[in-house]
Amino acid sequence: MSQSDWRTYKPVLIPPVDNLHEIEVYRKQGGYEALKSVLTDKKRWADPKSVVDEVKAANIRGRGGAGFNAGLKWSFMPPADGGPRYLACNGDESEPGTFKDRKIFEYNPHLFIEGAVIAAYAMEITTIYVYIRGEYRPFIEMMRKAVQDAYKNGMLGKNILKSNFSVDMVVASGAGAYICGEETSMLESIEGKRGYPRVKPPFPAQKGLWGRPTTINNIETLSCVPLVIRNGADWFSSIGAKNHPGPLLYGISGHVNRPGVYELPSGVPVLELIEEVAGGMRNGKKLKAIIPGGSSTPILRADQLDGVTMDSDSLRTAGSMLGTSGMVVMDEDTDIVEVLWRISHFYHHESCGQCTPCRDGTGWLEKILLKIRNGDGETRDLDLLLDVTTQMEGRTICALADAAAWPVRYTITRFRDEFEARCKKSVHALV
Amino acid sequence: MTMSEVFIDGKRYEFEGQPQLLQFILDLGLEVPFFCYHPSMTAPANCRQCMVKVGSPVKDRETGEYELDDEGNRVIRWFPKLQTSCNTVIADGMVVQTQESDELVQRAQKDTLEFILANHPLDCPICDQAGECPLQIQTYKYGPEGSRFEVKKVHKPKHVQLGPRVTLDAERCINCTRCVRFTDEISKSHQLTIVERGDKNYPVTAPGRSFDDPYSLNTVDICPVGALTSTDFRFKARVWEMNQTPSIDITNGKGCNIDLWTRDNLVLRITPRFHPEVNDYWMPDAGREAYQLFNENRVSHPAQKLESEQVSASWNHALETLAEQLEQTDRKDVLFIGSPHASVEENFALMQLANLTGAKTPVFTPHVEEGSGDGFLLSDDQAPNAEGCRLLGLEEVSPKQMQTKVSEARLIVALNDNLFGRGVLDATHAKNAFWVVFASNHTETTQMADLLIPITTAAEHAASYVNVDSRIQRTFPAKETKYSNRRLSMEMSEGRLDRFGTSFDNWVTEDHKIDCVPFWDFATQAGERLGLNLHLIDGRQIMDQIATMNPAFEGVSYVTMDEQGGIVLAKESMAKSK
Repeated sequence: MSQSDWRTYKPVLIPPVDNLHEIEVYRKQGGYEALKSVLTDKKRWADPKSVVDEVKAANIRGRGGAGFNAGLKWSFMPPADGGPRYLACNGDESEPGTFKDRKIFEYNPHLFIEGAVIAAYAMEITTIYVYIRGEYRPFIEMMRKAVQDAYKNGMLGKNILKSNFSVDMVVASGAGAYICGEETSMLESIEGKRGYPRVKPPFPAQKGLWGRPTTINNIETLSCVPLVIRNGADWFSSIGAKNHPGPLLYGISGHVNRPGVYELPSGVPVLELIEEVAGGMRNGKKLKAIIPGGSSTPILRADQLDGVTMDSDSLRTAGSMLGTSGMVVMDEDTDIVEVLWRISHFYHHESCGQCTPCRDGTGWLEKILLKIRNGDGETRDLDLLLDVTTQMEGRTICALADAAAWPVRYTITRFRDEFEARCKKSVHALV
Repeated sequence: MTMSEVFIDGKRYEFEGQPQLLQFILDLGLEVPFFCYHPSMTAPANCRQCMVKVGSPVKDRETGEYELDDEGNRVIRWFPKLQTSCNTVIADGMVVQTQESDELVQRAQKDTLEFILANHPLDCPICDQAGECPLQIQTYKYGPEGSRFEVKKVHKPKHVQLGPRVTLDAERCINCTRCVRFTDEISKSHQLTIVERGDKNYPVTAPGRSFDDPYSLNTVDICPVGALTSTDFRFKARVWEMNQTPSIDITNGKGCNIDLWTRDNLVLRITPRFHPEVNDYWMPDAGREAYQLFNENRVSHPAQKLESEQVSASWNHALETLAEQLEQTDRKDVLFIGSPHASVEENFALMQLANLTGAKTPVFTPHVEEGSGDGFLLSDDQAPNAEGCRLLGLEEVSPKQMQTKVSEARLIVALNDNLFGRGVLDATHAKNAFWVVFASNHTETTQMADLLIPITTAAEHAASYVNVDSRIQRTFPAKETKYSNRRLSMEMSEGRLDRFGTSFDNWVTEDHKIDCVPFWDFATQAGERLGLNLHLIDGRQIMDQIATMNPAFEGVSYVTMDEQGGIVLAKESMAKSK
């Protein structure tokens, strides 16, 4: 079964099966077989490490935005010492343009649960935390229901499938802070503290939740795990782009006819994704720009998109990043100044305020952009904006400052004439 | 084995263990600007001010030798980003460039300061912190020359009464979280947290709660800006107008090291002074509030009781009265009462006077309130010098014994201790005797005095106190009395105005000078009048006498105390002295 051509691709993460969120339906579809195999088939899976090796070989690049090999991350866990170890599943997706994990919570929660339990087994973990963003009220309830069902069916809790392996799963919710999607501030939030990112090192694998070894994975990443176990690493890595393989949830929003979440192999050409998958531009307008993977990834002009595919290598070459593959499509009528101000407004609102450059930089950026948007800006303000982004980048504990700075830097450099058109000519230079 | 080495700005330094880079640099006497870091608390690395460039030498994987470039220098692999030095652990061979040698570091530090100042109100002219403000100082040194921030600043709550003693101006706050970490890690009251998000952040208590931590004022000291100020002290004085004099907290047995801040012969505030073995950087709020003891309710000028009312008497008259009483009264009916609230030197002077007049050894009752200590900087012992009285050889008596002794005595000479106020004695015990009370402040006890003689406090004389851990530490005179002079006294500290002031500065004032003398002065004069040779000149000379006479104090002098930050007196010599 070749799954490489996106036109013939059959979805596996969110397949079109009615009521798949119900555990009976999920099991009928072959659900929890991967878990059973891992826990009971000692010939195939001699020990937890064999599972880690298989996942490592599949090269699941983390779907939360950083794109780190999941199996490799698992192998960073120190040897078990009898104390508690945690898996923290990051379902806080809060970046504008990103709305893919909710599809899993909604349509296929047990695939994720199965993946998380396999991960827990592979890393000898005893407690799993699922952290879901606070705004996802209905999905939090759905996940809680799914977890209850899994407990009732013996897929969670003590002695799972009579294998002597036990693991608990706790659904925790955020309270509406983007920063809690940053992995270490998510840990703080789970611990009941203020969501401030932690200073690294120590890394979570050494000191995570409550100071114990912890691995943090994205929801979609963990949902890929049962597929890898069922079909093998080779099957997985043969799907889609070579260096970023596997099924991928594309969240397409903006000025297209059919916005939504689409499951396709990675590496679909951007223009095909817009024209064929998302039904083309709304009202027959021309494409102006896209933001490929969530609002922090640099914007790309339409003329930069020829031959660009949705995978990390191709997008890096084009001058952006895959991020969470949540693509925002903008047509020719889009006011880029307004877009950038709105993005900056978001980062200003969401900066946790721990580090100086981000705390005061995000607000400064937004206020200058607001000035330009309102027609009070001067051309020198554009250079100041670029200066401020330089002062923010790479100088904070977490990457939020970078995430706030990149859109400003790249949107201004890629649409400078539109910004200048909105600005008055500077009378004197800024010191 | 060779020592580990680190290169900072091109100079080689050796180190042991795993020191943190910033502290290591500070310990060398070098400088890197910082705000959030505090040596006694965890480093959150949130102010991003102490950034430096860090690199490590490249080692050949097989040989383990350092790789060298064409010129024979080690190949350095620089960290891709600048590192905050506060939480960087030094490794062997590490190469560090600070603002002294690297332009990028210089720029990064300047950039961070520009960000910090962006939303800072810049109200230094009306801010209490001005003059001792790390933000102000470091901005002058490392900050940008102007501001490019031309948009509206964030507005936040101002003059918020966080608790009974601390006031918050959230706009000045730079969110270093030192205060929050103090309540989490040092005082453990967990009363403060940061609320809001981003540039609206500020520290505050939980809704409806008061910041009544008994150590709350320490947050004012460690606040690197004027966001947290002392409700009592704010707006009272500029830092540069005051004289800062090292002293000892005399409100409890712990003997926290403190600074007295004086102006116009008034103590205006008390702040802790670093001592690694006594109080670190901290002190309880109670000790700070004691500054009023030095200014208010002072006994000034002697008084004698005539028909149940105390009336002003001359010093000569006071001397004459005491001498007559001592001459007239049978030795066995004279009771000298020492005081755990008075210094070693004062108690020694009392002992000398008692001994030379042939009276019994002075007695004292410790002032202990069980359960009032907290295992940190508050002790059960409410007096600063009970241990000193014991070591001197005063007779320790229980309140009951004290009552008996007082009832039996005909003449009582009592040193600065409010025995009536703290419940050891009441009026029924005092009926028979003639009371000579030496006191600094008006209390229930001074009301009982037939002869009341004013004496100096710890803020006016140099004297030593032995704390609950047997450490003897001393004070310096911080303010003038009617009979002392800042310019003539070698012990008194010099303030900025003393050094640089002119007569036009109008800083010398006769106001607020108390009409009192050190106890040993009066004791010496009384001795002379009685034909006894006490020869007690000042604290320094008295301590030298004690050191030669009392083995418990062997080797103790003001010089050694000053050099060593106080001296722990050996417990076994205590037994010897008894």
